[in-house]
Amino acid sequence: MIGFFLRRIVLTIPTFIALTFLTFVAIRLVPGDPVEARVGEHGITPERLALLRHQLGLDQPVWKQFLDYGWGLLHGNFGTSLSTSGSVLTEFMTLFPATVELSLVAMALAILIGIPTGVIAAVKRGSWTDQILMSLSVTGYSMPIFWWGLLLVMLFAERLGWAPVGGRIDLIRFDYDTPTGFMLIDSLLSDEPGAFLDAVRHLVLPAIVLGTIPLAVVARMTRSSMLEVLNEDYVRTARAKGLSPFRVIGIHALRNALIPVTTVIGLMTGSLLAGAVLTETIFSWPGVGHYLIDGISRRDYPALQGGIMLISVVVIFVNLLVDVTYGAINPRIRHGG
Amino acid sequence: MNALTLFRAAVGLGLAALLLGSTAASAKTLVYCSEGSPENFTPAINTTGTSLDAARPVFDQLVEFERGSTNLKPGLAESWTIGPDGKTITFKLRQGVKFGATKEFKPTRDFNADDVLFSFQRQFDEKNPYFKVSGGKYDYYNDMDMPTILKDIKKTDDHTIVMTLSQPNVAILANLAMDFATIQSAEYADYLMKKGKPEQFDQVPVGTGPFVFSAYQKDAVIRFKANPDYWGGKPAIDDLVYAITPDPTARISKLKTGECQVSPLPRPADIPELQKDANINVLTQPGLNIGYLAFNATKPPFDKKEVRQALSMAIDRKAILTQVYGQAGQMAKNLIPPTMWAYDDSVVDYTFDPEKAKAMLKSAGVSGSIDIDLWYMPVQRPYNPDAKRMAEMMQSDLAKVGVNAKLVTYEWGEYRKRIQNGEATTALFGWTGDNGDPDNFFFFLGCDGTKPAASNIAKWCDKDFNDKLAQARQVTELDQRKKLYSDMQVIQHDQEPVLNIAHSLQYEPVRKEVIDFKMSPLGRNQFDGVSLK
Repeated sequence: MIGFFLRRIVLTIPTFIALTFLTFVAIRLVPGDPVEARVGEHGITPERLALLRHQLGLDQPVWKQFLDYGWGLLHGNFGTSLSTSGSVLTEFMTLFPATVELSLVAMALAILIGIPTGVIAAVKRGSWTDQILMSLSVTGYSMPIFWWGLLLVMLFAERLGWAPVGGRIDLIRFDYDTPTGFMLIDSLLSDEPGAFLDAVRHLVLPAIVLGTIPLAVVARMTRSSMLEVLNEDYVRTARAKGLSPFRVIGIHALRNALIPVTTVIGLMTGSLLAGAVLTETIFSWPGVGHYLIDGISRRDYPALQGGIMLISVVVIFVNLLVDVTYGAINPRIRHGG
Repeated sequence: MNALTLFRAAVGLGLAALLLGSTAASAKTLVYCSEGSPENFTPAINTTGTSLDAARPVFDQLVEFERGSTNLKPGLAESWTIGPDGKTITFKLRQGVKFGATKEFKPTRDFNADDVLFSFQRQFDEKNPYFKVSGGKYDYYNDMDMPTILKDIKKTDDHTIVMTLSQPNVAILANLAMDFATIQSAEYADYLMKKGKPEQFDQVPVGTGPFVFSAYQKDAVIRFKANPDYWGGKPAIDDLVYAITPDPTARISKLKTGECQVSPLPRPADIPELQKDANINVLTQPGLNIGYLAFNATKPPFDKKEVRQALSMAIDRKAILTQVYGQAGQMAKNLIPPTMWAYDDSVVDYTFDPEKAKAMLKSAGVSGSIDIDLWYMPVQRPYNPDAKRMAEMMQSDLAKVGVNAKLVTYEWGEYRKRIQNGEATTALFGWTGDNGDPDNFFFFLGCDGTKPAASNIAKWCDKDFNDKLAQARQVTELDQRKKLYSDMQVIQHDQEPVLNIAHSLQYEPVRKEVIDFKMSPLGRNQFDGVSLK
């Protein structure tokens, strides 16, 4: 097991190097540069332009900039934001808990609803229930996040007033420190009555919006995987032995059907974070999504590079975790079989 | 019981547990849905209106703009006198002004001349220990040409500051009311430098303003508390909260539901709906800006004023106003908007007359069809909501008088650089005023602006215009200045280096419980003097 884990870790090293290089180059291929992006209608003298470019190290050859950046990364230095002059790592870590919290709740929602939905659809294959559930899942999968989010805001926030439009907490009623950055935890730590429920209220709509597509994928994946497993000989044998349908489906079949579902959940981490960018925009959710968008518009190279790198680290780590879990569930994979 | 009622009841029960916390607003807390996070809290090193708005509650300047106008009033300087040669300005500083405190810093002295010296010296003196802190880029100080204008600054006593100018320039007073000229605490700067945390100076602001900074969470919230010791009197609201909401749709939704009371920068498409909302007042006023089409006077045939005038008559600006600006534009005949004191209403605008335009082109020696390039911005600007659409409409109008315009654009930074280097033959561009002084508009058609990378994209240099521009900086009598600017408007209209198109209108939706919020022509949002019902 440890050997498997180490092998996987070693394999991530070239991935990181390639990622660093790609991010670094891709950002510089976008027209415009950070200094030009600061200049408005006032214009800028060539002397001042040269001075600012020098201050930011942009007058260095690109290969040298890359080596400097790589050297910094090796020392845990993700650079300094060109627009705020703050440490990219610190800024990212301030915002990241909000994205993680939203993503975890959205994923939990997707798993807790998606898996039972898929199982029910598989067991009742071809029935009206199956068709309705799968139609809903196709609808959920096809729904543009932006449209879906706005629809929910208009209905539940503007029209019915049941949920807030955005943010993580009622800013008028609550003013407390957020040591962990996870509002659900911080609201409990704050000892302010009603804070936790208010944090939940703020989380409901964004989590539904972000969780919709993963939910649809998990449901469909579970259904197809279950159908495959339900036709296996060992399931037929279990049934023939007189085991209860719950034990056959819930334990024997589902456990094996979950292997591909687990992989899909890992792979979805990337798309979940991409979806978080849009969801965070709709719900004014202070996560890393807006940080990256802002980085693009300001041509804030370090913020953008650092942000993408850190997100990539998370995606790779989650997939590594999934691989390990997968290996644990299926020993053939662990041994390279 | 109809289906909707049933649906409401069902979902209502499901969410009942989550509804325990209702959004009962404290009467003294005002929430402003700001459009983004600030770069930091020191205006001198910031470039965006968002950042300047975020720092404004905490700070003051020597000279200030009256709320909702560009008129100047005393700020931290009680009074000022301009020397007989026009080159020195002596400021008498207000006494007994307190700085706010933070969790770890408690000021031990009142505001004095050292704070003024520190705040300016940081921006130009490389020996100042804070010169390079937080990147050390002082864009506004440089953009407003302060390194050239300000020759020296010194204190003669703790409450007197003398500024020496390289040449007489009355427009500097308006510069000093801008955010970059904010006065910060020298004592706080020293304190943090000794602690080895100078960068905190720009992140946790300490000022003399109407509010005291309380907390900031990036992309989430900025909190301020009323400053009970404010020299101008304690603000009417106790807490000021900036709920950071970058998406314009979310800002409007929050305003409608009462999650915030003031929401800037609405999308033009949302205005009609907001105007119908019984809980919202939509404030409006002409923006301090101008969108124009520049003719490059160094490139034939635009070196002839008759050609520039002819093209101005060939373009249907009324149609542009309707289709590009919708409700949010006002036709421009002068470079400055009509709200400015120097505006000359006697200038007679060019009318849309393609036939006359054709005849003028012919008499100017331009026969048959000609090919030109017409550049347009790839981005929305405050003075031009859709430059591409505008360029297409112009292209169609110009074709009718035999001018074939090829549309050209580049990435915004590249676009600006190229047109300022004089590459375009005709180009759409514009200007947003910084401080309300007419000089801040007319300067960009001055001869200095024709240099490469400078602001005069028409590359038009008229000696008479330029002399009057310089003269208007030196005279202190308002009537004399007004006469000079009036003459310049006549010259500009006759020479037509640019075709003035429109001044865009600004909108600011505010909930009706907000009392006495004033829109600023400079696009500022400020909350001293604002109260809540």
